[in-house]
This record gives sequence, structure tokens and C-alpha cells, in this order.
Amino acid sequence: MELSGYGLTADLPPGWEGAITLDRGEEASALAEVGGVVRPVAHLASFPLPAERGDFGSGAVELMRTEDVFVALLEYGREEADTPLFSRQGIPRRLDPRLFSGRSLQRAIRGQAGLQAFFTEAGRAFCLYVVLGDDDDAHLLARRVGQVLATVRIEVTT
Amino acid sequence: MTVVVATLVVVVLLLSVLVAGLLRSHAAILRQLHELGAGVHQDPGVPAGATQQPRTDGTVPAPQDLPEGRRAVDVVGVGPRGEALAVRTMGVDHDTLLVFLSTGCTTCSRFWSDLGAPEVPAGTRVVVVTRDPTEESPSAVLDSAPVAATVVMSSQAWEGLRVPGSPFVVHVHGPTGRVLGEGTAASWEQVLELFLRAGGDAALGSREVGPDVRRERELDRVLLDAGIAPGDPSLYAHDDEGRSPPASRTDDPAEAPTRGEGSP
Repeated sequence: MELSGYGLTADLPPGWEGAITLDRGEEASALAEVGGVVRPVAHLASFPLPAERGDFGSGAVELMRTEDVFVALLEYGREEADTPLFSRQGIPRRLDPRLFSGRSLQRAIRGQAGLQAFFTEAGRAFCLYVVLGDDDDAHLLARRVGQVLATVRIEVTT
Repeated sequence: MTVVVATLVVVVLLLSVLVAGLLRSHAAILRQLHELGAGVHQDPGVPAGATQQPRTDGTVPAPQDLPEGRRAVDVVGVGPRGEALAVRTMGVDHDTLLVFLSTGCTTCSRFWSDLGAPEVPAGTRVVVVTRDPTEESPSAVLDSAPVAATVVMSSQAWEGLRVPGSPFVVHVHGPTGRVLGEGTAASWEQVLELFLRAGGDAALGSREVGPDVRRERELDRVLLDAGIAPGDPSLYAHDDEGRSPPASRTDDPAEAPTRGEGSP
């Protein structure tokens, strides 16, 4: 099952679903009102995504079971590409399970673990945010995330 | 001479077995293609090459020639705000009720309002599916759809499941990816009633559930058999003056989930 929009594509493995929306936060909405460019947000999950959720998965991560994983790919302004924070080139496709931590969660939920990575690809700046349903199973779940990240393609857009 | 005849007989027998095997596999392939929607029947009145459109005026013909337990489809399309969506219905733990609606049909209007907080059995997800934005107005869908509803605009799903019109509901069994039941109804209440009576509850009951859930399902079944549907006034206690409390309460908007958490 292929998910594609706003220059992002993912071939979702069995059991995964996803959505690519435009940033719906207050800041982005205000920006859109004055004619600014609103950047896309991709959510990939191994569980049913609710219609209402925040960019970093609030509203969704609360529904995760221990065997679930959630991936958010958030684009930032073009001017951020290749800056020190986004200096890493290319989306990280293999994630080190030791880097996941409860402290990296945007919404702290007991037992879950998160990771954030910033990178530039195709001249676009992104934050990759991943939540694992069970910190104790980080090795297996990080591999599961790697399976979906291996299918993500980022295209050059104007 | 006898040896030659015997050899020929053996050869003919072998060829017969081979032909029978080929015919059998051919039939199996045709059956699979039919299940996948190839060779969909067309009304005699429809000119060749013309696409037969599902009805979206609320008059839904009964589905015909649909194999029982046929494979469902995952739903890929766009949301009314233009977002790209891919909803998994097959090979998952939960069941999905795909509710095919349009903004034009009057029967659908009750569904749209009922789908704000639809009552469904545990382990079941509700997804509303409309036609593509080229055939259905996204702004009209946005106006009709409750905020918390998952809505996908996907003509591909309509065609994949051979939906004859709206409103129409397809119940997909997640683990097997097969259609458990389908049909039309006048309201969500009716869908739920049919769903519980037609075995959707039994299918869910086949999974490991606690005794409380089993007891609740049994009570639901008994009440529905007695003609007592959800929201029936007899389900609520009356005070001394014969007044009963409201059947539903408005959720506190302050408890609604937040939509954005800001930047890292």
C-alpha cells in the first residue's frame, strides 16, 4: 500500500498505515493566513491513526499498545536545510535502539521510548520523531521502524 | 500390436489427466479474478465502455453476485483537507466498518450526524469513505463530517468493493481481510442492530475477551432480540414524577485531544 503526497512517499509494509497532512498547528495556521508556505507532516503507524492528532502524535501515542510503533516526519522551512541542526544528510534508515529514551518523548507515557533525529534530504529539512510502544523491546521495535523507513522516499519540491 | 495399443491408451489417459488439471487451474484463476472484481457485471442498458456509477441519491440496490467472504481492500485516498491517507483494513487485529456516504443523499445525512461518536463493538474501527474530490465536494464533506471521524475520499475503494450506492456499510474482518457482512440501512442505529444480529458480535466473540465483555455482549443480544435498541427509554431509570434522564450527554469540550504540540 503506497502513501504519497507533498513530495513524500512510503510503501507501507503489512500492518502499517499512514497520513501526510499539512502542519495544522496554530503557528502554521497563522502563517498560512498571511500567505506563508505550510510544510507537510507524515505520520506512519502500526496501529489505527485517529483523525485528531498533533504533529508529534498526541492523540495517537496514547492509543499505542506495547508492540506498536509511531513515526512522524516533519518538514521545516527550506532555509533550515543544511544548517548545523539539520547537517546530517539523508533520512536515517537504521535506528540504534540504545538511543531511544523516555526523555525524548514529546508526550511522556510510562513504558514508551522516543527518538528525534534531524536531517536534510533533497534540499529539505526534516525532523524524524519515533515512538516505541515498549522501551524494553527497543531492539525488535526499532527494526520494525527500520522496515518502514527503508521505503520512504523524499523528492525535490519547489 | 498389443504393446502399441496399450502404450497409446496410457498416453491418452495421461493427456486426459493433464487436460483435466489445466481446466481445474483455469477455473480457479477465473474464480480468483472474479473475486478481485474483474469482469464486473454491467447493466444491459449501459453502453459498452461507459462506466457504471454507484448511486449516491440514497437509493441503493441490493448487491448482486458477490461471493461470500470475499477479500476486502485497504483504503487509499485523500482527506477533505487534501491530506494523503492510507488506511489499513486487512491483516490487522481490529475489524473495520467502512461506511460509504455522500453529501448529496438525504438518507446519508442521519449517518453523518450519528458518526460523531458512533457506538461500535470493542475492537472495531469506523471509517467513512466518499467518492474522490472530482466527484464529491471536499468542502461539503468537511461541513458534514464530525471532527473526530476518519474520512477518506476514495473512489478506488468504492470500485474495489463494488459498492452499489450510498449509504452502504461493509464490515471487514481485520485478521483475515475478508468481508464479514455488507448492506444498507436507514440509520447508524440500524447498522449496529444488524451488525450485532448478523454475527459481527459472534466474530468478535471468537477472540480472547474478558468475562465482563462477554456478559455485556450477551445482554446486548438479549435486549436487541426483545426489540430494545440503544437509547430506548426503558433502559433508563425514572424518577418519582416519571421523568427519565437524557439518553446522551454532551462531552466536555475541554477534554478533547489537542491538535498541535509546537516545535521541538
